[in-house]
Amino acid sequence: MLSNFTAIEGRSFGYWKLVTFFAVLILMGAGAFVAVEIHGHGITGMNNKIAWGVPHVFAISMLVMASGALNLGSMSTVFAVKQFKQFGRFSAFLAIALLIGGLAVLMLDLGRPDRLLLTMMHMNFTSMFTLNVFLYSGFIIICFLYLWSMFEYQQYTKVIGSAAFMWRVILTTGTGSIFGVLHAREVFHSALTAPTFVALSLSSGTAISIILLVTTFKHTKRRLDDIVVFGLRNALIFFTLLVAYLLVVEKFTKFYSPAFYDVQNWILTGPYSWLYLLGVWGAAILIPLGILFHPSRGNSVKGVLWASISAVIGTFALVAHILLAGQAYPLNMFPGYEVSSVFLDGVTATYTPTSVEYILGFGGIAVAGIIYLLGIKFFRMLPDKAVAPEGYELPWNP
Amino acid sequence: MTMDRRTVLGLGGVATAGVVLAPGMTLIAAPPPDKTEASSDQRWAMLIDVNKCDSNCTACTKACRQENNVPLFGDPNRDIHWIRKLEIRDKEHRRPSVSLPVMCNHCENPPCAHVCPTQATFIRKDGIVLVDKHRCIGCRYCMLACPYKARSLVYHETSRNEDSNPEVPIRAKGVVEKCNFCVHLVDDGKQPACVQACRNEGKHAMIFGDLNDPQSEISVKIRTVKTQTIRADLGLKPHVHYEGL
Amino acid sequence: MRSLQSHPLKFTVLLALVWAFVLVLPTMVVASGSGADVTQHSKSAYTGGPPQLENAKGEACIRPSDWMRRNHMDFLKHRRAQTVREGLRIRSESLIKCAECHQSREKFCDQCHNYVGVAPDCFECHSYPK
Ligand code: SF4
Ligand code: SF4
Ligand code: SF4
Repeated sequence: MLSNFTAIEGRSFGYWKLVTFFAVLILMGAGAFVAVEIHGHGITGMNNKIAWGVPHVFAISMLVMASGALNLGSMSTVFAVKQFKQFGRFSAFLAIALLIGGLAVLMLDLGRPDRLLLTMMHMNFTSMFTLNVFLYSGFIIICFLYLWSMFEYQQYTKVIGSAAFMWRVILTTGTGSIFGVLHAREVFHSALTAPTFVALSLSSGTAISIILLVTTFKHTKRRLDDIVVFGLRNALIFFTLLVAYLLVVEKFTKFYSPAFYDVQNWILTGPYSWLYLLGVWGAAILIPLGILFHPSRGNSVKGVLWASISAVIGTFALVAHILLAGQAYPLNMFPGYEVSSVFLDGVTATYTPTSVEYILGFGGIAVAGIIYLLGIKFFRMLPDKAVAPEGYELPWNP
Repeated sequence: MTMDRRTVLGLGGVATAGVVLAPGMTLIAAPPPDKTEASSDQRWAMLIDVNKCDSNCTACTKACRQENNVPLFGDPNRDIHWIRKLEIRDKEHRRPSVSLPVMCNHCENPPCAHVCPTQATFIRKDGIVLVDKHRCIGCRYCMLACPYKARSLVYHETSRNEDSNPEVPIRAKGVVEKCNFCVHLVDDGKQPACVQACRNEGKHAMIFGDLNDPQSEISVKIRTVKTQTIRADLGLKPHVHYEGL
Repeated sequence: MRSLQSHPLKFTVLLALVWAFVLVLPTMVVASGSGADVTQHSKSAYTGGPPQLENAKGEACIRPSDWMRRNHMDFLKHRRAQTVREGLRIRSESLIKCAECHQSREKFCDQCHNYVGVAPDCFECHSYPK
């Protein structure tokens, strides 16, 4: 059933419009970066309580999605899921594109990006950041090898694909651990933070793949069988349930520990509760599940597409909640005491992001977007037509 | 070498009774030797007696700003505080509130140094946790890691004026910094600016010294009175101790 | 059908280009931006022509002048790292001692720095001892 891979034509007006749009976004992002460099982080909304803001939300969401995007490929390679094999190239390439986009934002937001090389010269191996530098660069290399093997040396695909699969689990664990290991922050200090990130990467990676596959195939007038999309839908359902499960377990445990009552109540009723309830539970979990389990909407490509869009938005919300609410919650320096000071101790931190931060973030998305667009034009990433193997039937439909 | 360094520092401790020229300036009997180096023979620490601290007094915070050129930007979210005064009160309001200064605790297990990707934040041999501002890339990971909110990023350009202390650099934009135990003074055998100010104010609530020297005032006190550290349960082993919390 | 062989190479080139675009370009913009800054603020000191060094006050430098001319930057940088990270303070060789002989930064350090177009940023934070 192996289909032929062809590059897309990429000559239409619409294609170039998109490329130009992304190019403009990148230029604006670069402008935002230069502005921050010249004027300092004073022109962003970040402050000494919320030191990581919107750029980090964009960056980390994209990194999470990047490792998840590899999923289609690794599912087909590692678990021999035949109907996804045709998306192997697409998924490895998308992973690289998203990773580069995310890393670009992360690096360009440094207070002193000119000193980036120092990270290479004076490694500190106890830092999650340093470990992540290795994990990310290794990931890019492995994705390259994986792609290469799919293009030319099919006999190695299985080995490299399996390695890539393991690597991506470790990678996302590393990303999650950036937060999970911080003892000081009650909102996200938890051994479950890293597994939650892994689950989140699976659901968001599947969702972004669905979005891109459906739109790309539609606009290039290629054939994409509904049954293939529904296979992805089932995967998305499973992964979303996994995220929900981990979130519930985490809350459940914490509600048995009186020391966490304050912070848990704050999450559910405090100033960031809307983000938690609407963003995390709504957009990331309940809306997608509601659509996907719906007997008619769950069985239409359009419904699956909307569910995926909601899942991607939910991913941003979950990362934003961990990051922003996690930092906004006052540090508990004197348990059992009320604290006040000129440095706003004991008060929920406030944060109003400015436009430069969003521009920087969207610049990162545009980087990923332009890599994707150019990639599918110049290389044979996508199959001519995506059909299910013969006799393939879905085990389950809503 | 370390021997005579210790004697000099001993003198610095006694210089409490020495000649006070002006607030924040204490004349020390002997100048420091030509060459000194941080060594693990010392373990600097501070002890703050909360009972002697007064909620209206901000002598220590002012002295720190003056000594280390720490600016105020006028935006409470971004102002830099190497040392700040805290008011704490039990939630049931049964006891009166307590006022105390909080600064970097110079932890023995500092998470800020553990997470720093460039080793810009590090522990000096004598236990002082420092930020090498020439190396900090401004990633702010340390700010998330520190449980005491001791660190700040410099959000705006700062500049010198006539009041600035020429001996100390001004704070550099885009870099994270924090209290450094007035390392330049300590290396010269003097006491940190906040401690001097507290003494000049007549409060004597802060003492600074070497925990490895069993004779030092701070060692003696820590052996004899009940002291504690902030959030000892976190296991960071802070080296700013409090008495009467 | 074109040969498959050409793909990985093209692929690498494309990604390298995008990388370059994303990271190098803005960094270069900033670098040139801050460079422009420095030349501007030191313009007052640079009068064109070869550097005119003010005569030093003291007897002799702490190291032979020839050696200093070539190596002062590495020397200072090494000392800086030692001082910050190991607490090494050699008072007879501190920057204060430099200033005892070379009393004006404008008439000494800046002269050559401007002439050869280097812009060390030490004194953006530190003050040259008086
Ligand atoms: S108090 Fe904070 S900044 Fe200071 S050493 Fe401890 S963790 Fe680091
Ligand atoms: S902001 Fe600077 S000191 Fe803090 S972790 Fe990053 S590099 Fe280290
Ligand atoms: S020891 Fe020095 S730097 Fe630290 S708070 Fe006191 S005055 Fe400020």
